[in-house]
Amino acid sequence: MDYTQITEAQLDEMLTTIGIDHVDRLFDVIPESIRCKEGLDISPPQSELELQRSLAEMASHNIGPHNMACFMGCGAYDHFYPVLIDQLISRGEFLTSYTPYQAEASQGTLQGFFEFQTQISRLAGLDIANASLYDGATAVSEAAILAVNTTRRHTVLVASTIHPEYLAVLQTCLADLHVNITLLPSTDGRVSPETVRQHMCSDVAAVIVQSPNIWGQIEDWGGCFEVAHEDAKTLAIAVFNPIASGLLKTPGECGADLAAGEGQPLGNALNLGGPYLGLLAAKEKFVRKMPGRLVGMTTDEDGRRVFCLTLQTREQHIRGAKATSNVCTNQGLMAMRATMFMTTVGKEGLAEMASQCWHKAHYLAEQITALDGWELAFDGGFFNEFTVNCPVDVTEIVNTGKERGVLVGVAANGRRMRKLSSGNELIIAVTEKRTRHEMDALVSLLKELSS
Amino acid sequence: MTNHPSRGDRPVEPLVFEKHVAGMCGVDFPPLDVPETPTPDSLQGCGVELPSIGQHDVMAHYTHLSDRNFSVDGNFYPLGSCTMKHNPRINEWAAALPGFACLHPLQDDDCIQGALRLLYETRTMLEEISGLHEVSLQPAAGAHGEFTALKVIRAFFADHGQSQRTVVLAPDTAHGTNPASCTMCGATVKQVRTINGHTDLDHLREVIAEVGPENVAAFMITNPSTAGLFDPSIKEMAEIVHGAGAKVYLDGANMNALLGRVKPSDFGADAMHYNTHKTFSTPHGGGGPGSGPIAVTEELAPYLPVPQVMMADDGSFYLDRDREKSIGKVRSFIGQFGVLVRCWTYINACGAEGLRHVAETAVLNANYLAVRLQDVYDMPYFDPEKGAYCAHEFVSVPRSLLDKGVTLIDIAKRMIDFGVHPPTMHWPVHDCLMVEPTETESKQALDSFVEVMLQIAAEIDSDIESVKNAPLVSDISRADEVGAARKPVLVWKD
Repeated sequence: MDYTQITEAQLDEMLTTIGIDHVDRLFDVIPESIRCKEGLDISPPQSELELQRSLAEMASHNIGPHNMACFMGCGAYDHFYPVLIDQLISRGEFLTSYTPYQAEASQGTLQGFFEFQTQISRLAGLDIANASLYDGATAVSEAAILAVNTTRRHTVLVASTIHPEYLAVLQTCLADLHVNITLLPSTDGRVSPETVRQHMCSDVAAVIVQSPNIWGQIEDWGGCFEVAHEDAKTLAIAVFNPIASGLLKTPGECGADLAAGEGQPLGNALNLGGPYLGLLAAKEKFVRKMPGRLVGMTTDEDGRRVFCLTLQTREQHIRGAKATSNVCTNQGLMAMRATMFMTTVGKEGLAEMASQCWHKAHYLAEQITALDGWELAFDGGFFNEFTVNCPVDVTEIVNTGKERGVLVGVAANGRRMRKLSSGNELIIAVTEKRTRHEMDALVSLLKELSS
Repeated sequence: MTNHPSRGDRPVEPLVFEKHVAGMCGVDFPPLDVPETPTPDSLQGCGVELPSIGQHDVMAHYTHLSDRNFSVDGNFYPLGSCTMKHNPRINEWAAALPGFACLHPLQDDDCIQGALRLLYETRTMLEEISGLHEVSLQPAAGAHGEFTALKVIRAFFADHGQSQRTVVLAPDTAHGTNPASCTMCGATVKQVRTINGHTDLDHLREVIAEVGPENVAAFMITNPSTAGLFDPSIKEMAEIVHGAGAKVYLDGANMNALLGRVKPSDFGADAMHYNTHKTFSTPHGGGGPGSGPIAVTEELAPYLPVPQVMMADDGSFYLDRDREKSIGKVRSFIGQFGVLVRCWTYINACGAEGLRHVAETAVLNANYLAVRLQDVYDMPYFDPEKGAYCAHEFVSVPRSLLDKGVTLIDIAKRMIDFGVHPPTMHWPVHDCLMVEPTETESKQALDSFVEVMLQIAAEIDSDIESVKNAPLVSDISRADEVGAARKPVLVWKD
């Protein structure tokens, strides 16, 4: 079904109104030489029933967190979210509306984004936030570009412990902008303030540090950002996990000027990597440099409190080549899911989730390191994810896990991790969804494989 | 329809922050089933002040918000260039299947063969529709596709010793994303004049000569143009650009008019992006998620971003992450997978014939509306008596109405009173309405829209104040956007 609704009789009527005998007349202006001579080589249409069958069939050829215990993380986390989010987000008024340019016809979306901005700014511990970007990786790139444009400097110092995909996207985005990316080496899985100091120079636009980092290690944001701020112009950019803010210090508490991150853990499904949403929060003074959609509070002609898109003169549709970014959309629906999630869990619920992640991850780490030959790869603190050195080939562990219905974690030496390591580390994530039973089963499996 | 509606008294929906009840939680959690491990004070934060409300109030809050939105489901939504077509719910069902929605992006290829097959088939279907050699599904949105494809073109030239090609040409009516994307690729933009909605070929030649053919990387065009017109000289345009050694980039925003009728490769496009949320019925979601797959010629293909979904000789599927000449990664993981599930579902629902019928009906509906409105709403480019039809959308510059003392905004806001979402305004030319009904509207819906537009025109003569003060029945009157920008308030402060 192509979802059109014009009958043959109506078509005739409409053609008569237009004054033509065939719909092809409307295409006559297209030169003959470029018109399709043959039909597209695409399968015949499938009815909805057939689509249901073929899609269910394709989906059945996938195994994953829906039928396996998932200890994979590295930027995408198998968190719980209440069913009401799926129900509410299905409302056509959210699902099938467009960017809320017309304030009078879009107060629902606008107020939702305003609430989202406020909630994200609080999770980041900063003054303002935008209405979301594509994903965590592009949010980090946009933050870096903001820093480059604001400071008119051309070096960014990036912790080598950042997610390798974020780094890869940053490299792509900065490649043509004459910006030099300097990687800060790590010691024991973390970047020290002393290392930041050694790399500071008069051209540093930003220092970018992710915490928890790709190894799950909690970085010394406070120390690193203090060094960054010894140069009054350098901006401190924290890459953060919004769930961690329920327990740990926020970017703002640690002195960040900007915070970027992946918003997927906030009520969004894993979706094989997308759609997700990028988070970007900042101190107030960067408001006119922010990329992406911003919703502001204002009044209508009768004095009611209302909301509208604002500071649009920063944006591409007004400013063209001089815009702060080419971003046109936000991840509207994902941001709406995230705000529904934050509203539902509230302060207490977020704190509960974060602390359960903490306790469970530490329980599992303790159980695994109690096994002969298993040890933590790094000594620093961690939140919901930690790295172990495996006494046997990590690939074998991952493969056996798959056979037994467990996604044991992410191998650091795999191509998916862009060759983060040549060693034998396994990065294990634990969310509030993992039960003691699942964790004990994982420990038994690892014991069996290494004995 | 002839009644004069007036504004109701529905109260403003309080913000969640104003509904906060300390200690409330909308959901519960199982008790912790492991021993506790204390968190060191040095790491612990001082807590985040998220508002807390009970579950029923969560439902009520978002139900009230949803009730304050226009949508394709509930309203005629003829937003030009945005292709607000019906969003089939089978698409949503498909994307929510646990075997798709629950997959972790770092899982091994052998665990996700069904998902990779879907991506591979989406890739090949989009290649077929464009007639181009290879599609990348990586870009997250249309503008992101522009950025990615321009990077690919720049990489191609750098690899061929022509890195001086940094000038990108675009018509003066281009989407704002076009020049903004150029800037992000370190390219500079030169505008090419349009006359009556069509690119001025002489000016194109002039600009190329002026900047030097050897410095031009690409010409970004939209076809049908942003004025809603098929450009009959598109092939000649491409020949001029190719003559300069540069590439033709098609902004695929208007692909809905071309499906199965014209393949962009046949008029000389070297690269293009799709907007799945326009052409392939994936929902706009209040501003996203989009998805912006790009298609390119064989010579540009080696530079596409990674990863690329491939089919092995044995018929299995895998992600190729090692393409030597690739521009690298443009977003994390594997693209907007959930959006692409919906795209696959739509294309397979339509089939080849259906896609062609979509284009026909989209163009038919637009021309029908234009004919019925042209006597009252002036249309600078539309003249059926001379064979000048529109494509899938049309532009009206309602000068004769504006001369009576209303503004374009007045007309647009009055449309809201009649449950119609205003069309795109002031773009691609000042004082214009750009109307795109799409193929999924019924004749009855089109006729009702005509009635609304004619009534508004009549009101301008009989009761101009109701137009100038519109909207009269929406919950709110006009928002003070100037005030909002002067003193931005982006977050709530308790």
